[in-house]
Amino acid sequence: MNALQNMVAGFEHEAYGSQAVFRTALQALSHPGRPLDMPLNMTVPRGGHAAAAALLLGLLDADTAVYLSPSLAGSDAAAWLRFHTGCSAVADRAQAQFIWIGQGDALPLLQDLRQGSDAYPDQSATCVIEVHNLHPDEAGWRLQGPGILGERALRVQGLGADFPAQWSRNHAGFPCGVDVFLATATQIVGLPRTTRITPVEG
Amino acid sequence: MFQTYDHDPSAPTADRQAWMALLARAPLRLLDEALTDHQATPQWLRQPETGLMMVQGRAGGTGERFNLGEITITRCALRLSQTPTGPVGVAYVLGRNHRQAQLAAVADALLQDPAQRETLALSLLAPVRQHLQQQQAERHRRAQTTKVDFMTVAREAAGPQDEDTE
Repeated sequence: MNALQNMVAGFEHEAYGSQAVFRTALQALSHPGRPLDMPLNMTVPRGGHAAAAALLLGLLDADTAVYLSPSLAGSDAAAWLRFHTGCSAVADRAQAQFIWIGQGDALPLLQDLRQGSDAYPDQSATCVIEVHNLHPDEAGWRLQGPGILGERALRVQGLGADFPAQWSRNHAGFPCGVDVFLATATQIVGLPRTTRITPVEG
Repeated sequence: MFQTYDHDPSAPTADRQAWMALLARAPLRLLDEALTDHQATPQWLRQPETGLMMVQGRAGGTGERFNLGEITITRCALRLSQTPTGPVGVAYVLGRNHRQAQLAAVADALLQDPAQRETLALSLLAPVRQHLQQQQAERHRRAQTTKVDFMTVAREAAGPQDEDTE
């Protein structure tokens, strides 16, 4: 019962709220690398970034398994997701359809997550990673691929330095591979597996 | 399983499981009468929502589980508006009556407050228990009218030879 005592509400209006979140997630994946404001018309738990919590609240349901990184697994965010979506939390991240990596937690190897198969590439994992800040149009990464006209610049603060190297391996496995959302407290950026990331110096 | 709670002699201090089993079957009329002071809109954690739930049974109470059928259920979770950090009331009730689910959850939240428990146990739980007992007695009475006492009639002096001759 303790989990319930600290429980907070979810969407103010379930249908409208989750549709707004879903729309934002679609936009983010259609325009890789473009930070989008997450509609936060809901109560969010104390643990985790609000935009990441909102995204998962909109996407998860009773048929999905989610893996939470250590800092989130013990927080009220885990109980909150379970209460409102009915999802199951798994300890083995290779089993999870959704991965939520809290700020400061070690990034798992993307290769260890569900990759899907050539016949069913949709059965791969979706990874939500919390970061400090997102700066569009600043030198950091050069993004190219479907959904980007020419190229797009994005600087991400608070993400492990090995991410671009991991990402190129993930990209090479197309059509398999994971999709990633980077989330700050208010914004998300979508990185579908088709996007190429080139780190730029300076 | 439910019935084990209905005749509980230690009613005022019965634990949460027991009163939730009662509230789940409390008719709206009794809930309304007992909770006239608590009709304000609560702080919703989960608004009343109606869905289906699979009921399982066991043949004879001991056999293998089987799916008996689906029932309509309404559930909700809330905090009372006057105690924003207080206990969470939860209710699952049969049917589609959102108000009944809300009042049952309000009662659950109130019963978790030791100061309110005594009065509410008298004004709500006792009548509900009485109502359920009446209901059960009525059902039992109706079933009794259809009771047939079978007795075994031994075939008298009907040897196998008789049938052979026919």
